[in-house]
Amino acid sequence: MTVAVANPLRDPRDRRLPRVPGPCALVVFGVTGDLARKKLIPAVYDLANRGLLPPGFVLLGFARRDWGDGDFEQLAKAAAREGARTEFREEVWHRIAEATKFVPGSFDDDEAFDRLAKELDELASTHGTGGNAAFYLSIPPSTFPVVLEQMRRTGMADNASSGAWRRVVVEKPFGHDLASSQELNRLVDDVFTAPEVFRIDHYLGKETVQNLLALRFANEFFEPIWNRHHIDSVQITMAEDVGIGSRAGFYEGTGAARDVLQNHLLQLLALTAMDEPVDFEAESLRTEKHKVLGAIVLPKDLRSYAVRGQYTQGWLAGRRVPAYLSEEGVAAGSTTETYAAVRLDVDTRRWAGVPFYLRTGKRLPRRVTEIAVVFRRAPHLPFAGSDVSDLGQNQLVVRVQPDEGVTLRFGSKVPGTTMEVRDVAMDFSYGEAFTENSPEAYERLLLDVLIGDASLFPRNEEVEQSWRVVDPIEALWAEGGRPELYRAGEWGPAAAEAMLARDGRVWRRP
Amino acid sequence: MTTLWDTTGTAVVQALAAARHHTGSVSSGLALTLVAVADGNLVAEAEQAATAAAAQHPCRLLLVVRHALSTPQPRLDAEVSVGGRLGPGEAVMLHMHGRLTLHPESVVLPLLAPDAPVVTWWFGAPPDRIARDPLGTIADRRITDTSRAPDPLAAVRTRAVDYAPGDTDLAWTRITMWRSLCASAFDSLAGEVREVSVSGEASNPSRALLAGWLGSKLGHEVAQEDTAGPGITGVRLVVGDDEVRVARTDGRTAVLQRSAQPDRVMPLPRRQLSELLTEELRRLDPDEVYAEALATATGVSGLEERSPRRTFVWFDPADPGSVA
Repeated sequence: MTVAVANPLRDPRDRRLPRVPGPCALVVFGVTGDLARKKLIPAVYDLANRGLLPPGFVLLGFARRDWGDGDFEQLAKAAAREGARTEFREEVWHRIAEATKFVPGSFDDDEAFDRLAKELDELASTHGTGGNAAFYLSIPPSTFPVVLEQMRRTGMADNASSGAWRRVVVEKPFGHDLASSQELNRLVDDVFTAPEVFRIDHYLGKETVQNLLALRFANEFFEPIWNRHHIDSVQITMAEDVGIGSRAGFYEGTGAARDVLQNHLLQLLALTAMDEPVDFEAESLRTEKHKVLGAIVLPKDLRSYAVRGQYTQGWLAGRRVPAYLSEEGVAAGSTTETYAAVRLDVDTRRWAGVPFYLRTGKRLPRRVTEIAVVFRRAPHLPFAGSDVSDLGQNQLVVRVQPDEGVTLRFGSKVPGTTMEVRDVAMDFSYGEAFTENSPEAYERLLLDVLIGDASLFPRNEEVEQSWRVVDPIEALWAEGGRPELYRAGEWGPAAAEAMLARDGRVWRRP
Repeated sequence: MTTLWDTTGTAVVQALAAARHHTGSVSSGLALTLVAVADGNLVAEAEQAATAAAAQHPCRLLLVVRHALSTPQPRLDAEVSVGGRLGPGEAVMLHMHGRLTLHPESVVLPLLAPDAPVVTWWFGAPPDRIARDPLGTIADRRITDTSRAPDPLAAVRTRAVDYAPGDTDLAWTRITMWRSLCASAFDSLAGEVREVSVSGEASNPSRALLAGWLGSKLGHEVAQEDTAGPGITGVRLVVGDDEVRVARTDGRTAVLQRSAQPDRVMPLPRRQLSELLTEELRRLDPDEVYAEALATATGVSGLEERSPRRTFVWFDPADPGSVA
């Protein structure tokens, strides 16, 4: 391990120098999978192209293929060329290719893992990785136990015995309910030490999500009104226009609530509702999120406030699309939900009585993720009723994707001789104000893993808290009944509208 | 796009307002105004660079083209475009002739985005004294490019003598990747610094600044070796028992050699002007590290204590004796 001597060339005032991790290897399990090809390898290329990878960086693939280094390199190159955000440059790839290795083998093959462990030790001297390694488990959760056991057996995961850092990156789903996630956490934390475990929720790598923290805690005029006295309700939406594609096998047993609500939506809720952390260290941030997640309560009348839906055939973006039940691989009569909407309350002094409405769905009219904070009406309006009939509630909308930015809606006088007040929107768009293109979430998160910064990764307690919220909903739905139907290309089932109407509110059209 | 011949500053302001209204881009997340300054003979080149820059980072772009001072009648021609030929954002090209070239701020001031930072960038050779250019005194940040000066090394010295916090130079921006590589190499080095050297083209201002930076940070003398280039070709560090060499001979990739370790090839391309500007516009506070590097490179001291605000000094190039 390197001696912790202050580097004279690194100056905190020197903000041009990028954050570059120390020498290390990135070991990807399941490197031939979809995620690795579409996100991971392009992110590695983009990092290299931006000069953010250290000289001693090695990409090591592990998969069950009869391959040499060359074959893997070919696949990786094609993936990088296809998926990279930045311009593809041959010389950049050349540098990655030189430091690309492949170890073939299956997960139950002791000999393959011995070879992998040996390779990692050798890389320390042949490529100057210093023995540091991050293991990215881009594999089905069912294979975690055997892979982790192999890592324990070979001592690969042990910081002390390798004389360097060893980290592991886990993708969602983090289990499918509280019990299974606890089991998984035990397993992973057993083999690796808890601070070396990075759970990726790629939403947290998005610029706008981080901007939510800047918006709330760097400004004076949001925080004083960020509470029940001024906020009426919060709507968090993640809509997708696509169907389930070829993921029926995964989706059938999962559904919208486990796939999206349990992780992305609850994390967005936590960031919206949390108190100010004492600083921006990973632990402080996670502590505040954990507190909020722990304060979430489900409505007593859960049946009325947890709506599930399933899309039927319809028209979307000018094309006819099939019903969920007609998708390939979906069981006849499946009750898997493709849409979920719930009301949650946060029992704290700040949020008592402010409902958080969360919804997610597939085959909705457009792809959009946003957090809408809806303010109360002004307590008194000195205008005639007809003058303000078009005035809605003030809103602050954080647009997470696409078109990242912030919208503020407020009332303004319509030009003319009468006093007439109507809603207008003031837009801030990231693309308009800042010079640098926002990096892909995976780029940011991968860099954080290699640097060892865990602020943007949920801790195991947060994951478990989230399951505590979702489990009762799943249990209720498992009791029987069928999801409400909605036409593909609609904003969800009528029951979701009715749910808000019961509270005297309406969903915002994103 | 609106073209205005022999016009006034007021008409340009109105034309810009009308163009914004017309394209519907009335919302504004404008973070800054970029004032690009070029001479008449460089107009095509400057236009291309400024447009590329504006495409990279949305800002209000004011391209000030100074034509011959000797033209008897002062005249202003302007071209206003929002989302057109001059990039995706709001852009105004201002051609100034005659004595107007000495008073460009009279046109530029009302065109600045309200309360947003102003960055002035001289496309051609940098001015000897920024205080003599009103476009320099209204700017919060000033970008020069010593590599375009007739004598770049003398220009680096001039920049140090004339320095005020908020100044920056593209010759400095060009070495960020080199600096990052040196810093990464140093992450795993420990011990006493015994030798530091930088090699490159003799007249390359970036080489001088890289040597200045290494010197200021390591507190060690930095040897400079002349090579045929292009640009900077190498850095050598001897620290304790370790020797690290970074060599780039083709201007594209660098080879990192370190005692007892295999050679590594790293991409180290010479970057495009628009990339350099993107980096420059990312931060708008004074670059203290640049000031230190500049001071060490030139031996001029007391750079950081100077006031960031310059007071305009009247100077008439047609009558050099007229200095106030």
